[in-house]
Amino acid sequence: MDPAEVEFLAEKELITVVPKFSFDRIYLIGGDIGPFSAGLPIDVPLWLAVNLKQRQKCRIRPPEWMDREKLQGKKQEEMDSKFFIEMPNQHYMEITQLLLKYAPDDIPHADEMRTLIKDLWDLRMAKLRSSIDTFVRSDATHAKLNHLTLMELNTVRLFLTNSLDQLYVLRSNLSGKVQATQE
Amino acid sequence: MSTLEDLKDESGEEVETMTAAEVLRKLEEAWLNEKFAEDLLEAKTDLVECMMEQISEMEDNISRAKKGDFKVSIHRLEIDRIRYVLSSYLRSRLLKIEKFATHLLEEEKVRKDDEPSKLSPEEFTFAKDYDKSLESHLRNLALRHMPAHIQSLDPKQIAVRPNLDKYVFLRVNEDTEGVLVEEETLDTGEEIVDMKRGDQHIMRYRPVAPLVASGAVSLI
Repeated sequence: MDPAEVEFLAEKELITVVPKFSFDRIYLIGGDIGPFSAGLPIDVPLWLAVNLKQRQKCRIRPPEWMDREKLQGKKQEEMDSKFFIEMPNQHYMEITQLLLKYAPDDIPHADEMRTLIKDLWDLRMAKLRSSIDTFVRSDATHAKLNHLTLMELNTVRLFLTNSLDQLYVLRSNLSGKVQATQE
Repeated sequence: MSTLEDLKDESGEEVETMTAAEVLRKLEEAWLNEKFAEDLLEAKTDLVECMMEQISEMEDNISRAKKGDFKVSIHRLEIDRIRYVLSSYLRSRLLKIEKFATHLLEEEKVRKDDEPSKLSPEEFTFAKDYDKSLESHLRNLALRHMPAHIQSLDPKQIAVRPNLDKYVFLRVNEDTEGVLVEEETLDTGEEIVDMKRGDQHIMRYRPVAPLVASGAVSLI
């Protein structure tokens, strides 16, 4: 999958904005939003939040987890744990990217957030690479991947699935099964 | 939601009412499943048609709206997003139909009347045309120049078939116990996995194919 498509999915996440305008309820196909009143926080999908922000019609409230202490805690937890810890949001990377790109002035300590999230990502990717190594060596046929986010899975998708496909073919040849459906 | 649509559920018997938002959610799920599954899944014609109707209704409303109306741009943006999902869904189906045309037509031939077809009527016509053009192309280009006794072409032999043993990522939607992941072989025992809602796995597509069809797991 194209990373842009993972971002597309992340744009469905709800985020709190403080509108600078008042407007009636809008009946979208994917569900109603509004009514908007200037100054009153309201939850909207990220794609709409970014659009309103670009038109300077709102301020974006950073999500609760985008916080120095919380992220530092997560980072420590990730370092201490052998397994992947649960991220505060399935799309933490994409949301951070989008917010820092389109609304850096609404995010307190934006640079620090960028570094913290990048650190978390690097830690997890290093862990992911070493677990893939262990997994492939272990001869296991399947694995549980709890707490990995879609963007993380997507970066290793082609490499991992293709290697496992090959291993499966080799294993089946060993055990004498005939592969009739190879492309 | 202002509009309600009657839709058949997957069993095709009970009629349930879904809001447009639910239809959209289901369509998005079907999109991702179709994207990652190796074989062609059952066509979600109802979902596609319902969404197309929603879009054209919305476009009608937009064309009647006052110029410069604030909400128009937001509706446009949403329509663009939905249209992307729709066309990406249909496109990934077409890719598979082109790849497996002969195989799908074979399946279609042996399908019993009470089994649902994987292809929508339009897709079926497309598959037939594509298969016919491919065959005549092969004949014109190469076969007719061959010695007479090796000019025959057996569609069964040249058909490209989906490799169901490809690995996929999946997320569990409903607790499912005792999924047989690996059959017993000479040197390894059988492997059975209990799946809990919210779990994510990587495994071969074949054992979970029925669960994808029933919606118990989603491909990611």
